[in-house]
Amino acid sequence: MRLKLKIRRCDPMKTGACSPFLQAYDVEAEEGMTVLEALISIAETDDPSLSFRRSCRSAICGSCAVTVNGFPKLACNTQIIPEHRKRGQLVLEPLANHRVLKDLIVDMDPFWRKFEKTTPFLIPKEEPEGGWKITGEDQAVIDDSQKCIMCGSCNAACNTLDVDPGFVGPAASAKAWRFVGDVREADGERRLKDLSAEHGVWDCVRCMHCTEYCPKGVDPLKAIEQLRSRAMGAGIVDNHGAKHTLAMAESIKRVGRLDEAAMTFKTLGILRSLGMIPFGLKMEIHGKMPHPIIFPAIEKMEEVKKIYEAVEEKRKKERGGEG
Amino acid sequence: MAKLKYAYYPGCASQAITRESNETTRRVARILGIELHDMPAANCCGAGLMTDYDYELSLALNARIFAQAEEMGMDIMTICSTCLMVMNKANRDLTSNPGLLESTNAILGEAGLKYGGKVKVKQLLWVLAEDYGFDRLKKKVKKPLSWLKAAPFYGCHSLRPSDALGFDDPEDPRSLEEAIGALGGEVVDYAGKTKCCGFQIDLVNEEAAVEMTGRRLTGALDKGADCMVTPCPFCHINLDNYQSMAEKKLSRKIDLPVFHFSQLVGLALGMSPAELGLSRHLVSPEKIVR
Repeated sequence: MRLKLKIRRCDPMKTGACSPFLQAYDVEAEEGMTVLEALISIAETDDPSLSFRRSCRSAICGSCAVTVNGFPKLACNTQIIPEHRKRGQLVLEPLANHRVLKDLIVDMDPFWRKFEKTTPFLIPKEEPEGGWKITGEDQAVIDDSQKCIMCGSCNAACNTLDVDPGFVGPAASAKAWRFVGDVREADGERRLKDLSAEHGVWDCVRCMHCTEYCPKGVDPLKAIEQLRSRAMGAGIVDNHGAKHTLAMAESIKRVGRLDEAAMTFKTLGILRSLGMIPFGLKMEIHGKMPHPIIFPAIEKMEEVKKIYEAVEEKRKKERGGEG
Repeated sequence: MAKLKYAYYPGCASQAITRESNETTRRVARILGIELHDMPAANCCGAGLMTDYDYELSLALNARIFAQAEEMGMDIMTICSTCLMVMNKANRDLTSNPGLLESTNAILGEAGLKYGGKVKVKQLLWVLAEDYGFDRLKKKVKKPLSWLKAAPFYGCHSLRPSDALGFDDPEDPRSLEEAIGALGGEVVDYAGKTKCCGFQIDLVNEEAAVEMTGRRLTGALDKGADCMVTPCPFCHINLDNYQSMAEKKLSRKIDLPVFHFSQLVGLALGMSPAELGLSRHLVSPEKIVR
């Protein structure tokens, strides 16, 4: 079957700037043919100037991630017939949120800089006498983060990176969790402080895209959630993200649900809350201002309190077990 | 066909800041003959923040909601995409991992509760798409929205993570488009309809949040939309309430009314602007309502 592939191309080395254009190629598609096989076939038979990265062809090296019909995928494990059938077309573009060097090749340097910033190696505690004893459970918490092949798909899908290139991003966050979550790590607290600062894990919008488009099941969002959890547990709470989360936990414990006015105040503090008064007035005119004084609790609040107490008790025992 | 009935979980936002969405949904359900049963003891799902705070606590709080629905013998219907995502993720984790269900039930047991793992959680859009059916909805339309060019906005949590939700195709969703079509409106397609509105970082990184809001709105505006429609109250907060901030950030007038999904349905069913609570919007949709 002949299929048309549209590929977004550009060659700044030729023109000085990247002025992308779509070029169409016809490919003789066989059942099971991958995007990468199609690209190789075009380059070999049709247009040797077409540039793309590839190496292992087995979803291991992480080189060939591209945008397929709008979403990041590994070219080597995405088949062209089902993709074409699904959307009625097949458009290949370079990874989003990355600067294009040529055609489907993007500049990965900023991606690596983000990794470097997280100190991507273990800083071990002193080995206990008789050596480390790592349980299956210890291993399990960091298992997923070790599956990363650094293909950049998650960063390409990240909604925060789309508007703020300074954000640490899902890939480096997952890598950071690999060390923070390691029982042998000595420098976890310093890492958590760095990750709680501006452009850190609290800037994630929880859009789910990183987890959805990771081809290896790393679940970077889960890593971000765990980093936030550990940071709060270590008392690193002097930032809007942690304050907001703690205010939510307090609000549910008090009234069973979200008390918006109290949460905004607790997150922003008195000065920034005062700054929101003009906005608040506009909201008030449209009846949208939440009124904390008349905020009713849910029924059977005692059940919620008992659940909180049961978990708090469990945490206390765990901490006791450690000491 | 058996009467559709659900344990109704509007979510915290729709009981306060976006209560027009809750009130409209109740009216729409009444007109369509869908029974909504209140859950006055239901707690907040945690909106994802509680997952950060304490995963096990967050699971237990969600399981408490599910246990109530189980007791009522019904599935849950929410009108909030974030509640939908959080509850379905919790439900996925609890039902796919017997050990986790057991340890969560040990915590629930302290409050005299138990979750058996049998509840499903859906959203109004989902209920109309799969349980009620758009063909049936079309027959109920009194006032086709033939003058309306509506840009559908899904946001993130009505479609992802797909392994927990399993509703529609996150890469090429059709449900909102089909709904707009059934109501007689014209669909405006644009890039960004499944991207983020920015809500979750409004208080953390306002600049980035407002930039996202602005890009979503102008994406729809530039394709000729005269309104947006979203199933998510949190998306509505950013797209409507934060729209003036987005205008400032992007230095351009946007003035694009944003409907809650329930309001668009209500409008086609013949509800009045007052019944729809349109005066509660910061960007008035009343000027485009006929």
